[in-house]
Amino acid sequence: MAMQGMELLAMAVVIILFFMILKQFGLWEPLSLDDDSSDSELELAMVRHQPEGLEELQAQTKFTRKELQSLYRGFKNECPSGLVDEETFKTIYSQFFPQGDATTYAHFLFNAFDMDRNGSIRFEDFVIGLSVLLRGSVTEKLRWAFNLYDINKDGCITKEEMLAIMKSIYDMMGRYTSPSVKEDAPFEHVEKFFQKMDRNRDGVVTIEEFIETCQKDENIMSSMQLFENVI
Amino acid sequence: MAAGVAAWLPFARAAAIGWMPVASAPMPPPPRDKRHTRDELIILNVSGTRFQTWRNTLERYPDTLLGSTERDFFYHEETNEYFFDRDPDIFRHILNFYRTGKLHYPRHECISAYDEELAFFGIIPEIIGDCCYEEYKDRRRENAERIQDDEDTENGNDVTQLDLTIRQSMWRAFENPHTSTMALVFYYVTGFFIAVSVMANVVETVPCGTGSRAREMSCGERYALAFFCLDTACVMIFTVEYLLRLIAAPSRYKFVKSVMSIIDVVAIMPYYIGLVMTDNEDVSGAFVTLRVFRVFRIFKFSRHSAGLRILGYTLKSCASELGFLLFSLTMAIIIFATVMFYAEKGSNSSKFTSIPAAFWYTIVTMTTLGYGDMVPKTIVGKIFGSICSLSGVLVIALPVPVIVSNFSRIYHQSQRAEKRRAQKKTRLARIRAAKSGGANAYLQYKRNGLLADAEEEASKEAGKALVCKVNPTFETQHHHLLHCLEKTTNHEFVDEQTYETSCMEVSMVKPSTSRSSSVSSSPHGLTSCCSRRNKRKSFNVPNSNMTAGRRGSVQELSTIQIRERPLSNSRSSLNAKFEETVPLNSEQQPYITAAIISMPTPPVTTPEGGDSASSPDFLQSNIVRVSAL
Repeated sequence: MAMQGMELLAMAVVIILFFMILKQFGLWEPLSLDDDSSDSELELAMVRHQPEGLEELQAQTKFTRKELQSLYRGFKNECPSGLVDEETFKTIYSQFFPQGDATTYAHFLFNAFDMDRNGSIRFEDFVIGLSVLLRGSVTEKLRWAFNLYDINKDGCITKEEMLAIMKSIYDMMGRYTSPSVKEDAPFEHVEKFFQKMDRNRDGVVTIEEFIETCQKDENIMSSMQLFENVI
Repeated sequence: MAAGVAAWLPFARAAAIGWMPVASAPMPPPPRDKRHTRDELIILNVSGTRFQTWRNTLERYPDTLLGSTERDFFYHEETNEYFFDRDPDIFRHILNFYRTGKLHYPRHECISAYDEELAFFGIIPEIIGDCCYEEYKDRRRENAERIQDDEDTENGNDVTQLDLTIRQSMWRAFENPHTSTMALVFYYVTGFFIAVSVMANVVETVPCGTGSRAREMSCGERYALAFFCLDTACVMIFTVEYLLRLIAAPSRYKFVKSVMSIIDVVAIMPYYIGLVMTDNEDVSGAFVTLRVFRVFRIFKFSRHSAGLRILGYTLKSCASELGFLLFSLTMAIIIFATVMFYAEKGSNSSKFTSIPAAFWYTIVTMTTLGYGDMVPKTIVGKIFGSICSLSGVLVIALPVPVIVSNFSRIYHQSQRAEKRRAQKKTRLARIRAAKSGGANAYLQYKRNGLLADAEEEASKEAGKALVCKVNPTFETQHHHLLHCLEKTTNHEFVDEQTYETSCMEVSMVKPSTSRSSSVSSSPHGLTSCCSRRNKRKSFNVPNSNMTAGRRGSVQELSTIQIRERPLSNSRSSLNAKFEETVPLNSEQQPYITAAIISMPTPPVTTPEGGDSASSPDFLQSNIVRVSAL
C-alpha cells in the first residue's frame, strides 16, 4: 500500500465529504442540544388576556353595556387572544389605507393606545381610548391628540417629533396623489403648525399652548365633533 | 378587506381625531349614518337546524342572499325566523364565511352539491380561502373532466355513419377499433402481422444446423427466400396501413409528426432501402445495421396495448425524477471510480487500469450486479468497494418509489376512466329508462282511455323503470298538461320506436303518392326526419300525402299499425287506408295505433289555386316538433 502524499490527502478529503453527506441526510448527528428552543415559542402564543368585568369597564368608560358588548365582540373576533400586538395592529390599520404605507403612523397610534407601554393593547386600553375619542369632552380629545404627537411622552412636542408624525401621515397618502407630495411638504406643514401653536417661540409646544390655540380655532373645534356617531 | 377588519373601522375613524389639529383644510361632513338598528339576533332555520347570528354579521356582504333583502322572501312569520330548505351541513360553512370572512371547502362534500349551495346563497366560489382553494379547484376540474368525458363519448356514439365522410369514418375506425367489425378485423390482422414480423426477426438469427456448407448457418441464411417473402408480406401490410392512416388523418401534418407514424416509417424503411440497394459491397454493412431498425416494429404494439402507453406516459411524466436519478448516479459513479482507482493503483496486476475502467466496476457494484470480472485486491480498495455497493442500493432505491407512485396514479386514473365508461352505459340506460318510463306512462294513460285507474297503470309503468312510488296527483296533472298540448297542436306524442318505424313507412310510401304537389317538397322533410332520428332533441314531422282538396277537416296522413303486423302488411294497409279518415284513438285492438300525424287545416288565408306555391310555405310553417319525452 504505497500511496503518495497527494493521494492520501485526496482520500482524506473524500472521507470528510462522505461524512458531511451523511450528516446532511441526518444519519450522523453530533449531539444537538438546541431542540428546546422550538418549544419556548409555543409558550408565548398561549398567553391570553381576559378583560375586566363589564361593570368596571362601564365605570371607566362612557359606553353603555350593549356598546361594550358589541365592541368586545369585534375586538375578540380579530384578536382571539385578547391582546393586540404591534404587528397585528399595523396589519389591521394598514388595511384601511391601501394606497400608502400606514405602518409608521400605526406605530405612533399604537403607542398612544398602549398606555402602560407593555407592547400590547388590551381590551381595556382599547376601550378607554375609544371612550375618550368618542364620548370625551373636547379638552380630553385634545389632550389625547397631544399625547399622540408627543412621542416620548415628556409633556412637550418638539419639531422633530412633529416632523415624524407629519411624515407618517403623508406616507399614508402614498405616491399617487394630486398634486403630488413634494419632498418638503411635511416640513412646511410642521412649520405652519409651529407658527400657529408655539406662542412663546421656544421651539416646543406644551400642552397648555396646544389646548389654548386649538380652542381658539373654529375649524379644529368643529372637526372634533365629527366622529361622535361612529359607534 | 376581510369582514373582521371592518369591525375595526369605527376605531380607525375615531383615531382620525388625531389628524384634526394638524389639518390644513376643513374636514368633509360625515356621511349620513342611516341610523343602524340595534344589533339583533337573526334566527336562520335550515331544514330544522337553527343557526343564529347577528344581523350585522350577515349584512357585511350585501350582495349575497343573506345579506340583502332577498332573505325576506324566506321569512316565516309564525316562527319569526328565516327558513331555508337546504342542506344544514353545507350551510354551516356558508355562515362561517359571514362570520370570519373566509370561505372554506370541506373535503368530504360533493363538489356539485357545494357549488349548488354557493350559487343559491349568492356567494362566488372565487373567494374560497387559500387553505382550501387548491383542493376545490382540483375537485372542480375532475368533475368538469368527467362531464366532458361523458359528453364526448356520447357525442361520439351519436354521430351516425351518414354524417361522416369516408375519410372521417376511416379515421374513427383506426382510432377506435371497437366501433365497427371491419375496424376490429383490421386491428387484429395488423396485430398478428406485427407479431409475425417480430418473431421472424428473432428466428432469423437462430442457428439452424449445417446447410450445404460446412459451417453453422442461421435460419435466416438457410431459408432466405422464405424469410424474404414473409418480410415482404408484412411490410406490404404495414405500408398499406400507414398510407391509409395518412389519407384518413384529419391533420396530415400532425399525423406525420406524431411518434407512432415515425415508428411506422422507421419500421418499414429498411426493407425499401434494402430493395433499392442491391448487392453493393460497400453499403451492405450499413444495410445490415439498418436491419436492426426492424425491431422498432415491436413498438407498433403500443397502439394495441393501453398498458404500454401508460408506461410510456409515466416515464415521460417522471422525466425529472429519472433525470435526478441519472445525475446522482453519475456523481456517485465518478466519485467511487476515482477512489477505487487510486486505492487499487498500488497493487500490481490490478484490473483498474484507469478511471474510466473503474467506471465499469462501480456501475456493476452499485447496481448490485457484481459480475466479478473486476475485484479490488487491496484492503483499502475492499473497504471502499463495500461502501460503494451499500450506497448504490440507497441511491437507486430513492427515486424508484416516486416513479412507481406516478405509474400507479396514472394507471388508476385510466382504470377509473375505464370504469366510468363501463358504468356510463348503465347510467345512460337508467336515465333513458326513466325518461321513457315517464313517456310510456303517458301513452299508457292515453291507451286506457282516461280511465280512473290509469294512474296506477301509469305509475306501475314508470315504476318499472326506476322510481318506486310516483306521486299520483303529480302524474295526473302532468298528463293533463300533456294532453292539453296535444289538443293545442292537434298532434300526438309517440314513442321512439314507433316513430322510427313510421318514418321508414312514410319513406317507402313516398314514391306511390306522387300526385299531390306537396309531396314534391316532402323529400327534404323525410330525409331530415330519418337522418335526425337519433338526435334526442326534436323530430321534424313530414307532412307528405297532404291532399290538396281537403280543407276544413282534420286530415289523416298516415295511420300506421305496427307491432303485430309485419312490415309489408302495414305498407299495403297504408296504401289501402290512404283515402280514409281514421278517427283518433278509436282502436282497442291488439295492435297499437302509434303514429298519427295529422295536419291542421290552414286558416282562410291560403288561396284556392295556389297549391304548389303555398304548400311549401305551409309546409314550412307547419313543421311540427314532436319531442320524445
